[in-house]
Amino acid sequence: MASNAAVPFWRAAGMTYITYSNICANLVRNCLKEPYKAEALTREKVHFSISTWNDGKPEKPVLRSDTLED
Amino acid sequence: MAMAALRREGRRFAPLLSPRPIAGVRSSLVSEEDAPFGTRSISTQVVRNRMKSVRNIQKITKAMKMVAASKLRAIQVRAENSRGLWQPFTALLGDTPSVDVKKNVIVTISSDKGLCGGINSTSVKISKALHKLSSGPEKETKYVVLGEKAKAQLVRDSKKDILLTISELQKNPLNYTQVSVLADDILKNVEFDALRIIFNKFHSVVSFLPTMSTILSPEIVEREAEAGGKLGELDSYEIEGGETKAEILQNLAEFQFSCVLFNAVLENATSEQGARMSAMDSSSRNAGEMLDRLTLTYNRTRQASITTELIEIISGASALEG
Repeated sequence: MASNAAVPFWRAAGMTYITYSNICANLVRNCLKEPYKAEALTREKVHFSISTWNDGKPEKPVLRSDTLED
Repeated sequence: MAMAALRREGRRFAPLLSPRPIAGVRSSLVSEEDAPFGTRSISTQVVRNRMKSVRNIQKITKAMKMVAASKLRAIQVRAENSRGLWQPFTALLGDTPSVDVKKNVIVTISSDKGLCGGINSTSVKISKALHKLSSGPEKETKYVVLGEKAKAQLVRDSKKDILLTISELQKNPLNYTQVSVLADDILKNVEFDALRIIFNKFHSVVSFLPTMSTILSPEIVEREAEAGGKLGELDSYEIEGGETKAEILQNLAEFQFSCVLFNAVLENATSEQGARMSAMDSSSRNAGEMLDRLTLTYNRTRQASITTELIEIISGASALEG
């Protein structure tokens, strides 16, 4: 029974529920009118730097950011 | 005769002026001036310079306290509002810190900036204790570190157990999207049976308690559900739509992690500001006390040098008279 049920399209595409809900939230925010839209979009900025460690050694950190790097 | 006595008097002051350890002021201050026996006065310049720098430090720490206080007000509201995000999860799935699993991943949340008192050290201490507690045969415990301060401390002795480190989280004001992208990254890169999030929960401006939140992976939730308790009641819920229970549990687990992480990051940021406020406050108070002591030293030095001058003049004058 469990294996016959179709996996939702987004999970089949490799997304987690979190990514899915973020995309939906983004769509909702884009439906707002100005000026609330600009305010809401500031709440979507992502910026952090993540680095995986292999066996006690850090690799080069990857910066995930919406802002343009210069 | 009288002259000799007076000259002796003059000389007797000199050793009193030089290295007598004065409480609070480092003796190096005075011994830098270590005048050869018989000279008259210490320069008050050194004491004055030190007073100036202590005064500047006091101003800076006072300013930092004000800044931290204002940031605290703003972020405290957000942290308290975000508590509503994970409460339904705890009501539904329960919180099981004592669950026994094979793969533990400890997510330690700390700050990037320093000068915030001891909160980062307590988080790291608890993480290490948890690591010790949950290690055993066939069990594996790894770290995911958020923030520079915890990374610096954990790298010292647990380098091999670190999976991911994240920094620069607070460059933009914290928002849910950012934390959820982070949670997504963690979920994609880390295999876990249980996630333990360690953060400082904000209770009040002077009290931040290190707290641990547990998130179970969907498989473990299944396993615990069979064991009964809160999770066993999940079956009494009806599932609508075309999804199976396993799928729903997986969605819920991911969303739960994201919400709990968001709340944890906010609470930790609030605690950081509160800790910084109290650290800067005690620092300004200490600077004030130090300034008082330096002022006393300065006045004493000044008066002693004036006395010495007078004695010289008088003894010189009396020498002239004959």
